Amino acid sequence: MKLSSRYEQTSCRLVIEGLPDLSAGQSSQTIGILTGFSLALAGKTELEGKREHLQALMAAVMPYARQLLSGMPRAFGADDQPVAIRPQADGHQLELRSSQPDTPPLTLQLDDAELADLVRCLDRLQLDPNLALPMEVPTPQPLRRSELRHRLPLTRRLAAPVVGVAALLVTAALASLLPTPKPPAATPASVNAPQGAR
Amino acid sequence: MADAPVHPQRPLPRRGLERLDLLLLCAEALDLNGGEAMVWLSEEMGLTDLFPNRVELWKRRCSNPLRRTTRRELPSEAEADGLIRILNALADRLYPMLRSLLSSAESPQLSEQRWTLFRSRLQELLQERFNPRRGGVQRLLDPQEGPVLCRELIQTMALSAGPGGFARLKASLMDAAA
Repeated sequence: MKLSSRYEQTSCRLVIEGLPDLSAGQSSQTIGILTGFSLALAGKTELEGKREHLQALMAAVMPYARQLLSGMPRAFGADDQPVAIRPQADGHQLELRSSQPDTPPLTLQLDDAELADLVRCLDRLQLDPNLALPMEVPTPQPLRRSELRHRLPLTRRLAAPVVGVAALLVTAALASLLPTPKPPAATPASVNAPQGAR
Repeated sequence: MADAPVHPQRPLPRRGLERLDLLLLCAEALDLNGGEAMVWLSEEMGLTDLFPNRVELWKRRCSNPLRRTTRRELPSEAEADGLIRILNALADRLYPMLRSLLSSAESPQLSEQRWTLFRSRLQELLQERFNPRRGGVQRLLDPQEGPVLCRELIQTMALSAGPGGFARLKASLMDAAA
């Protein structure tokens, strides 16, 4: 029996169709084998695809949303992947590459609200207890210092060390101008005094 | 899966605490009843052990170094998780409002009115509770930089709503210091 699952959020509708994988001991209400999915984004074409397309969509959009949350948007989805997403001046560009050789890729412009809708639909899909699809989406992780180094402009990042080194140089230059204490005059009295004390 | 441990147990860094409290403040700016909603949601979600009353909840938020009166005591991991959970639930409740602020399909005048209202409420709250001498607060109140930061905060709230929002926001708040 064919099962379907719908996830809707204002501008986004995601419908999953599949069958229960009874051989894996799943209940008859759980989708274990995905036969297809359709994604409708408001005002844009309705997209249809197979399991690998859905997997690629999640693998690109979820890490993108994670990265955006830290204020460090960057592109996800390599050239050989069916789905890629990248930041744009006023929104996000979702690129869907067809597996047919001569079909040009389809690009969709999403604004922040549409991206949030899509992310919510994918979240619900990922956490749906009635789906048992092995989707490999990594758990969100904190960004490391090296990944955040572009957050501050170069001038602000360099300001502290440059001021520090400059202050050190100025202090050293001033200190070198101070007269060095003259060595005590080698008078016989001063030389002989310790000997006398001995 | 939403409750899966995001990272080894460690407390929120300072910047994470600042952002978390600012996001909670945004929720208060969006919803006049936001303060009450926080207390109510905390009870609803069974967090009464962590925050037995509104004073305790307020004390945990006051560990934000940008506040006028800061508490040195940092929230424990469970308390920080509780605050993130409350924010996640608040963002979920406010999602239609967040969405309408972010959407480019709305009429520009209406959108601008909404942003102006939100920014003025946030500024009132910032002036009332935050230390105006801190650079982070000055940037938010700055007429040039403030609107950009406000948009970032609203976008963060929109992406923190929903079932996967907790894990995503927590990971982002745990980012290393830049």
